[in-house]
Amino acid sequence: MNYTFQWGEAFIEVPYLLGGAWITLHLSFIGFWSGATIGLFGALGKTYGGPLTVKLINWYVIFFTNTPGLVTAFFIFFGLPEFGILLSPYHTILLNIALNSGAYMTEIMRGGFVSVHKTELEAAETMGFTLLQQLRYVIVPHIAKVLFAPLSNWYIWMILGTAMAAIFGVEELTGRVFNRAAETFRSIELYTIAAGMYVAITILASAILVVIGRWAFRVKVKVF
Amino acid sequence: MYEGFLDIFDVFLEQAAEFYVWDNAVYLFRAMMTTLFMTIVGCGLGFVFGMILIYLRKTPGLIFLPVRLAMIFYVEIFRRVPFLVLLFLVMFTVKGFGLDYSLFTIACISIVIISTAFIGEIIRGGLDSVHQTQWDTAAAMNFSRLQTLRHVILPQAWKVVLPPAFAFFVMFIKDTALTSQVGILELTQAGKYYNNLGYSAILSFGTVLLLYFVLSYPMTRLGWWIEARLRDRRRDDDDELEIGVTPYELRRT
Repeated sequence: MNYTFQWGEAFIEVPYLLGGAWITLHLSFIGFWSGATIGLFGALGKTYGGPLTVKLINWYVIFFTNTPGLVTAFFIFFGLPEFGILLSPYHTILLNIALNSGAYMTEIMRGGFVSVHKTELEAAETMGFTLLQQLRYVIVPHIAKVLFAPLSNWYIWMILGTAMAAIFGVEELTGRVFNRAAETFRSIELYTIAAGMYVAITILASAILVVIGRWAFRVKVKVF
Repeated sequence: MYEGFLDIFDVFLEQAAEFYVWDNAVYLFRAMMTTLFMTIVGCGLGFVFGMILIYLRKTPGLIFLPVRLAMIFYVEIFRRVPFLVLLFLVMFTVKGFGLDYSLFTIACISIVIISTAFIGEIIRGGLDSVHQTQWDTAAAMNFSRLQTLRHVILPQAWKVVLPPAFAFFVMFIKDTALTSQVGILELTQAGKYYNNLGYSAILSFGTVLLLYFVLSYPMTRLGWWIEARLRDRRRDDDDELEIGVTPYELRRT
C-alpha cells in the first residue's frame, strides 16, 4: 500500500473530461443512426430481397457479428491508407461503428419486420386504409413497439463500445483520460472518474429512453 | 489507380508467401489459445461469482437489505462501465498498490468483474422464469433455501440460463481483443506485432480477423444448437407435465 490518492488533481480535469463525454455522445449517436440505416436496408433486403441479396447480407452479418470491433477497426485504420484512402481517426471509427452495428441491427430489425402479421395488413385494407395510413397506423406502431427495447439497449451498449475509439486517438471520454493520465500520473483517480461518468451517462440515457418509450410508443421497456 | 492496385496486389502476394509459414502459424495459434483460455477462465469464474451474487441478492429479511443493495449496485455499475476503462482501472490499481500480478491475471480479474455482473443478471432472469409457486411449495415442504435452489429451482432454470450465458461467453471472446491494450499477447496483439514488422494490414489483421471468425463462428453455431435443443426439450417437458398432471387431477376428482 504505497499509493496516495490525490483526488483534487483529478477533479480539476472534470470539465475537460465532460467535453470528452460530449464527443462520446455524438460519436455514438451518429454511429447509431448510420448503423440503423444500414440495418434498415439490411433487414429490408433480407425480408424482401432475392436469394443472392439474402446470401450477401447473411455473409455481412455473420462476418461482423463474429469478429471483434477492435480488429475490424485496426483493419480499416491501417488497411485503407494502403489503398491511398486517408480518413481521420474519428471518421475511421465512425465507419467501423456503422459497419459493425449495422450488422447487429440488421438482425434486430428483421425481428421487427417479422412481427407484422399479414392478417393485420389485410384487415387494415378491408377497413379502407390507404397505404400511407397502413404505414402510419399499423406497420410503424408495430415495429416501433417490438424494436424500441432492443434498439435502446443497443444504443447504451454502443456508448460503452465507443470507448474503443480512444485507442485510435479520438479524444472522447476515454481518450481524454489517456491524455491526462499520461500528464499527471493520477491514473486510478482519472479512470475512476471516467467510469463514474460512463455510469452516469448510460443511466441518464436509459432514463430518457424509458420516458420516450412510454410517451411516444406506449411501450413499457426495461432499458439495459 | 488501376496500376496502384496491381502494385498493392503484388506486394500482398510477396508478403503472403513470407507470412504463411509454420513458425507464424504456431505463434498465431498460441495467441489464439491465449484469447480462448482468458475467456474461459474469466467467464467460468464469472459464472461462479454470478451465482453467488444472485444467491446473496435473493436473501430474505431486513437484516440482509444492505447485502441486497450492494449486489444491485454492483450489477448496475459494472454493466455500465466500458471494458477498456475497467481494464486500465484494474491495471493501474494493481500496479499502483505495488502488487506483482502478471498481465494475464490482470486481464482475467477485469473479465471476471464484468462477466460476474452480466452473468449474474442472466442467472437472475433464469431464476425469475421459475414460477413463484415452486418457491412456495419448496418452502412448504421445509426445504432450506440452498435445497430449494439445488433441487427445485436450478433444474428448471438452467435451460433458460444456459443459452444467453453461452452467448455472452461467445461475445466476450471478441471483447478480449481489448486486452491487447495492456500488452497481453493474444490474437489482436499478434496482429499488431505482424503489422509493426511491416506486413500489410490487410494480411496481418485480415488473418487475425479470420482466426477470430474461426474461433467464434463454430461457438455461435453451437450456441444456436444448444438453444434450439433446449427449447425442444422444454416443450417436451411441458408435454410431460401435462401428461403428468392429468392423472393427478383425475385422482383428485
